[in-house]
Amino acid sequence: MLSVDQASVYFATRDGRTVQALDRVSFDIPDSGFVVALGASGCGKSTILNAIAGFLPLSEGTITLNGRPVSGPGADRGVVFQKDTLLPWKTIADNVGLGLKFARVSRLERLDRVEELLRLVGLADFAAAYPYELSGGMRQRVGIARALATEPEILLMDEPFGALDSLTREQMQELLVSVWTRTGKRIFFITHSIEEALFLGTHVLVMSPRPGRIVGRFDPPFMRQFAKSGDARAVKTAPEFAELREEIRAMLHATDTVRRDAA
Amino acid sequence: MSEITQDTVLCPDQLHTHTQSPPLPRPVRPHPVRTVEMTSFGILGRPTAAISLVTAVVILSAWWATSQFGLVSPLFLPAPAEVVTQFANIYRDGYAGASLGEHLFASLFRILTAAAIAISLAIPIGLLMGVNRVAKGVLDTPIEFYWPLPPLSYLPLMIIWLGIGETSKITLLTLAMFAPICLSAQAGVRALPIERINAARSLGASRFQLFTDIVFPSALPEILTGIRIALGIGWGTLVAAELIASTRGIGFMIMSAGQFLATDVVFVGIFIIAACAFSSAAAIRLLETALVPWKGRT
Repeated sequence: MLSVDQASVYFATRDGRTVQALDRVSFDIPDSGFVVALGASGCGKSTILNAIAGFLPLSEGTITLNGRPVSGPGADRGVVFQKDTLLPWKTIADNVGLGLKFARVSRLERLDRVEELLRLVGLADFAAAYPYELSGGMRQRVGIARALATEPEILLMDEPFGALDSLTREQMQELLVSVWTRTGKRIFFITHSIEEALFLGTHVLVMSPRPGRIVGRFDPPFMRQFAKSGDARAVKTAPEFAELREEIRAMLHATDTVRRDAA
Repeated sequence: MSEITQDTVLCPDQLHTHTQSPPLPRPVRPHPVRTVEMTSFGILGRPTAAISLVTAVVILSAWWATSQFGLVSPLFLPAPAEVVTQFANIYRDGYAGASLGEHLFASLFRILTAAAIAISLAIPIGLLMGVNRVAKGVLDTPIEFYWPLPPLSYLPLMIIWLGIGETSKITLLTLAMFAPICLSAQAGVRALPIERINAARSLGASRFQLFTDIVFPSALPEILTGIRIALGIGWGTLVAAELIASTRGIGFMIMSAGQFLATDVVFVGIFIIAACAFSSAAAIRLLETALVPWKGRT
């Protein structure tokens, strides 16, 4: 269980003011839960991910993973970034095995594990390729395999499909569901796409900006439906899906400070 | 073999005649199309070698014509043929008591020793300055003070402190070559995206592993550029270093020939240094394609 308890973050601006980026955010990520934080830019969703990853300390509050407080980055929390962060001088196989190399796993053992992971993300034929030879979607799949290699307790995904075209994006969503059902990993996923949040999350946190806070919580059934049926179109075109999507859309618009200030 | 292939490809109607079917019309040659590309700015990798080669030929011809028609006294500008003859003479008889090989070896020994020392010091120090505030603060002052100075200006100090032997020359060259490599290693660290560091950290990298597996390879393209610049500066400084109290070296050969107004020998020396500098730059380029094949492709 990963618990975020009363997390607040304040940043200092250049001109000496303080800005609150996160306001007393609390939530849990249960075992094999898929939690999606949804909101417009500036709602603090990346801030909370950076805090869980250990890249950013909290001003107030605590984050605990299985009861132990989180301090600094570690291999128990795998991160997939929006911009791919593969090392251009390493092959795909060596990129995926990087965390294992850091953990001083022998090269032979690494190869076995890497092969298995590449098969999981459908890139078994690209072990010897270099990142610049792969498309954006393929690189993100490598990023997912790399993050899974060290057997983390949780996978943190910071808008991983944000830079992909919509067709690739849907394929990646479906791939992620199959990875989730096969590995049973906890996932914390960030997006600004309502549809993506509803399709992927077993728990969706709707966040609003200035300061970043949670304004709504939903437990959509759609991902489990898709995992069972395998028909993404049927799930996404179902009336319940559209209904919930419009409800969340209305909720996001109501808290849109830009519109409120302009009105 | 090739004829058969040609027939099959170009004359399908003949094949059809064999099988008694009505002859098909010959395939119409596609209309030649005009291929286009986006308007670009700058050179963008379009080849310049032919233009450079023509320029070289023009310069050589102008040189040849100038001496051929006696426009300039041979004292100032020897004919190309004279320089070639002089090169053969020096190659056969040596110059000022040492063979050409000995002169060349003396110069190469100095510059390569200095390069090895400069590279092995400048890379770790530069990387350290890129990541450590105290290291940057302490080392910035002396480096920023000395590196804009022309090496010739502190050569007398080197000689007073270290004598007139090889030590002062190699130290001078090392100092001249250290700064560009050190600065480029720092620039390489500055260009390192924070996401790459964060990704490695969340994969469990220790500080040492971050340094060896992420920081150093990320900075390598910049470091190699720095080494190329350093070698250029090194060849430039070499002549200055060999100016004083040397009896060996290409730089010494040039200076000594200059005092005797042996312009052709000066030219021989200049061409040897040019060839050496060109080869070392080419070697670094080869090293770049071998070590950083991903450069410019991400």
